[in-house]
Amino acid sequence: MGKYRGWLIAILVLLMAATWVIVRTPARLGLDLRGGAQLTLQVQTTDKVPQITPQVLAAVQGVVQRRIDGLGVAEAVVQTAGDDKLLVQLPGVTDPEQAERILKGTAQLLFAAQKPGTETQLQIERQLQSQLLLEQAQLLAEQAQNANNPEAQKEIEAKLAKNRESLEKSQQAIASLFTPSDLTGAMLKEAFASPVAPGSPNWSVIVRFDSQGAELFAQLTKEIAGTGRSLGIFLDDRLISAPTVAVEYAETGIVGGSAEISGGFTAQSANDLAIQLQGGALPVPLEVVENRTVGASLGQDSIRDSLYAGLAGLVLVLIFMVAYYRLPGLIADIALILYAIFTYAAFLLFGVTLTLPGIAGFILSIGMAVDANVLIFERTREELRAGKTLYRSVESGFDRAFASILDSNVTTLIACAALFALGTGFVRGFAVTLAIGIGISMFTALTCSRTFLFYAISIPSLRKPNWFCPKLESLR
Amino acid sequence: MSFSVNRQRSLWWGLSLVVILSGLGAMAISWASLGSPLRLGLDFIGGTRLQFELACSAMQTCSQPIDIDAVRQVLNQQGLGNSSLQIIDQDGVSIRTVPLDVDQRTRLSDALAQKLGDFDPQKTQIETVGPTLGEEILRSGLLALLVSFIGITIYLTLRFQFDYACFALVALVHDVLLTTGVFAILGLVAGVEIDSLFIVALLTIIGFSVNDTVVIYDRVRETLKLNPDLGIKEVVDQAVVQTLGRSINTTLTTLLPLITIFIFGGDTLRYFALALIIGFTTGAYSSIFIASTLLAWWRDRQPPRPATNTLETTPTP
Repeated sequence: MGKYRGWLIAILVLLMAATWVIVRTPARLGLDLRGGAQLTLQVQTTDKVPQITPQVLAAVQGVVQRRIDGLGVAEAVVQTAGDDKLLVQLPGVTDPEQAERILKGTAQLLFAAQKPGTETQLQIERQLQSQLLLEQAQLLAEQAQNANNPEAQKEIEAKLAKNRESLEKSQQAIASLFTPSDLTGAMLKEAFASPVAPGSPNWSVIVRFDSQGAELFAQLTKEIAGTGRSLGIFLDDRLISAPTVAVEYAETGIVGGSAEISGGFTAQSANDLAIQLQGGALPVPLEVVENRTVGASLGQDSIRDSLYAGLAGLVLVLIFMVAYYRLPGLIADIALILYAIFTYAAFLLFGVTLTLPGIAGFILSIGMAVDANVLIFERTREELRAGKTLYRSVESGFDRAFASILDSNVTTLIACAALFALGTGFVRGFAVTLAIGIGISMFTALTCSRTFLFYAISIPSLRKPNWFCPKLESLR
Repeated sequence: MSFSVNRQRSLWWGLSLVVILSGLGAMAISWASLGSPLRLGLDFIGGTRLQFELACSAMQTCSQPIDIDAVRQVLNQQGLGNSSLQIIDQDGVSIRTVPLDVDQRTRLSDALAQKLGDFDPQKTQIETVGPTLGEEILRSGLLALLVSFIGITIYLTLRFQFDYACFALVALVHDVLLTTGVFAILGLVAGVEIDSLFIVALLTIIGFSVNDTVVIYDRVRETLKLNPDLGIKEVVDQAVVQTLGRSINTTLTTLLPLITIFIFGGDTLRYFALALIIGFTTGAYSSIFIASTLLAWWRDRQPPRPATNTLETTPTP
């Protein structure tokens, strides 16, 4: 009996921990539930880029990320999917028209020389731009905080639109200070981050051009070397870097087609710039191959309907168990409720994004979680009918049913694994929720209900075989 | 023993065969008329589905319901005459077209808004799947199905024996065929399309249905161990009867939430729930009536193992 008390305490502690997790962690809802747009972009191969390598994909992801950031959508996510696809999630966007347009074009990397006499102006404009970007980040954070306040939301959105407009203007102002050259990203062979000296915390970005690019680069650097004017590097019309060229290159320019951009880079920032440059050097078009957009209230409707439906089903299962299995049924019900709480807490803990199919998987797993208990209780009844004592019957019910429970759960897990390995997007979400559910149901159906049941039959007034198997006497 | 599955096995086999054959027949008809055994949805063949609801609907101030002819007219003007469309609750419309790019789509929604009035962006739904992606989804789905068949067969061979695993597989194929057959019929009769969720449903059915089979096999193995002299038919009969309560109850508790989702749940999950309801029901059926009787039939045909290592004489023809 002391053994079961220990388990009881452990289960209680787990329950408190799970409740704490549920109260403290907000649920991560998928776009199909909270409303928003999800775009799948496929990177197209060209003659120049016949194969999409992971490096190419990472570079394109960088380009897409930056363009999406430019849209000013809170909590936008860009991730790779498969070998040649990118997944873009835009929460709250009801018509991804703008996003689709800006994503379709290939990245344009341009090199330009600063016009003479614009040094102070550039400094002012760049300062203004960084201020605006800071403001944008603040507004986005505010927007995420006030997600449930539509009035504040509107106000912030208006501010964001204004901010975007100013950013656009400042971008144009900066661009007008430069004279574009013929040197473009197509002539850039590679760009990578490297420490200035081995082990140094200071990093720089190395760029290499092809022969035509090398020539143009030499011309361009010769023009501005030592003047204090900078070499503007524009990606999609936005200035991403403006290094100056040292005076020693004034005669010939930087020759050899290779250069090092240095000055205050950390490993991280050097790498970011290198990825941007690589992305700009990639003339690969993107195609929107999938677009799934759901309005926010449409998503809320479906979450509500499905949740109510699932809860109704759960209540029916609970009633059935008590009606059919009596006392063990009641204990199975407690285990089932624990199962629901633990599983939901696990979803939150692992950061599982809840989608509609995911919720369906969860509800389904509740129905399946009963299976183990049904197996055990049926077995217990058989043993009781065969004339064994209550304690022995319950014990062999658990022991004998275990092999079946294990086998059936492993086979379901195999199907889950196949779904996870070969599925995409929400299919994977479904597989994960189902697999977590199966794992936890093994615990609740075996350990929890075993503990409760043995604890119950340790209390003499509950030790009534009839409460385990009705009409037992007439059967014997 | 009052109930014996083996006694009427030709009845059970015949019943399954009839349903499966009519499903296959429906698939053949679909193949002839639609070019695929099932009515494939957006996810697999690509296309665009747009759903709009008038903004006035929320305030209930719409002067009149959406006129389907007006929508058809706009579609014709855009050169999308052969799209399918459906009016939803008077103030909403759902349009299914070939894949549209962003320009075509914007032009269409603008033209519709001009003709019908402003739409509520919070109620809008846009789905576009490119045709190549659709093929990929279908291919990976079928591959997942195959992989789980193989995985389950291997596991069952390890836990039981190869012939057990084979008949469990037959039962699984039975369930998948039956469910797809029903959806082929639904596709022909009611225009029901299958999407990615259908493949998910099939895989879930496999995982669940094999449970029932495993539980019965487990009991067969146990009974065989306890009574080595009993004939296989009797053993299987006993195992089925002993696990019958469990099979029915588990299926029932799993079906309860599915039935509530089917009746009350959102549109997205309705046919998903239906596929699972059909699959789980046939899964229980095939475990009780097909996998078990096949096993008994097969083992019965096998010559009894020689008790000693005497040489067997080959029968002369």
